[in-house]
Amino acid sequence: MAIKEVIQAINQMQADGVVERYAVGGAVGATFYLEPVATLDVDIFAGFKSEPGSLMVNPQPIFDYLKERGCAMEGEYVVIGGWPVQFLPAGTPLVEEALRQSVNKDVDGTPVCVFTAEHLAAIALQTGRAKDKARLLQFIEAGALDAAGFQAILARHSLLDAWRKFERQFLSDIP
Amino acid sequence: MSLDLQKILESKSALRRKLAARPVGEKLRMLDALRERELAIRGRPVPTDSRAVHEEAAPIRKKRVK
Repeated sequence: MAIKEVIQAINQMQADGVVERYAVGGAVGATFYLEPVATLDVDIFAGFKSEPGSLMVNPQPIFDYLKERGCAMEGEYVVIGGWPVQFLPAGTPLVEEALRQSVNKDVDGTPVCVFTAEHLAAIALQTGRAKDKARLLQFIEAGALDAAGFQAILARHSLLDAWRKFERQFLSDIP
Repeated sequence: MSLDLQKILESKSALRRKLAARPVGEKLRMLDALRERELAIRGRPVPTDSRAVHEEAAPIRKKRVK
């Protein structure tokens, strides 16, 4: 069981032209900036190729490609290297921007594309589940965010109200 | 060892910073190991071809009832 196998498989998939661009998000993406926190799956955000004349995004070529290479399907997940991997489209303007501005990192000589810390934090704020809020707090406590860059993302994606609410709930000393 | 809560929190924070600063390859291997442990706790089968470093739990001994 190794996340590195997932990265290698997706790099190969990109080299073979199945996906145009991808980036690691979620808890695995956050691990590039924070201490590791247990997770059960890997979130890969990808620019799916659309059929000519169609506006629908279609992940089927990804599933077909990986099935041909012996990967099992588990519901919405493809199992690669023992890890359930979920392929997600860039479904919101924020995620689209995160994918466009994702950064290249290196894992023991293997290249990988990852969301920036600021985009991961903004996506966590927008998603807003308890575990997302916990992750956002981790980013803040670790000092892993560029404050100006983060604020600019929040402003561009109408998240300033959500941020003020989050600050009141979790970052204010006033009870 | 101290039971001073402030010191405990500071030491937890220092450990988290230390973990965050580890090389990313090492942190991803920690995720592999954490997932295996989580699955084991939940009672799901763990793939046997695992190459992640892990610890075997000691066998549970039954108490003799006299």
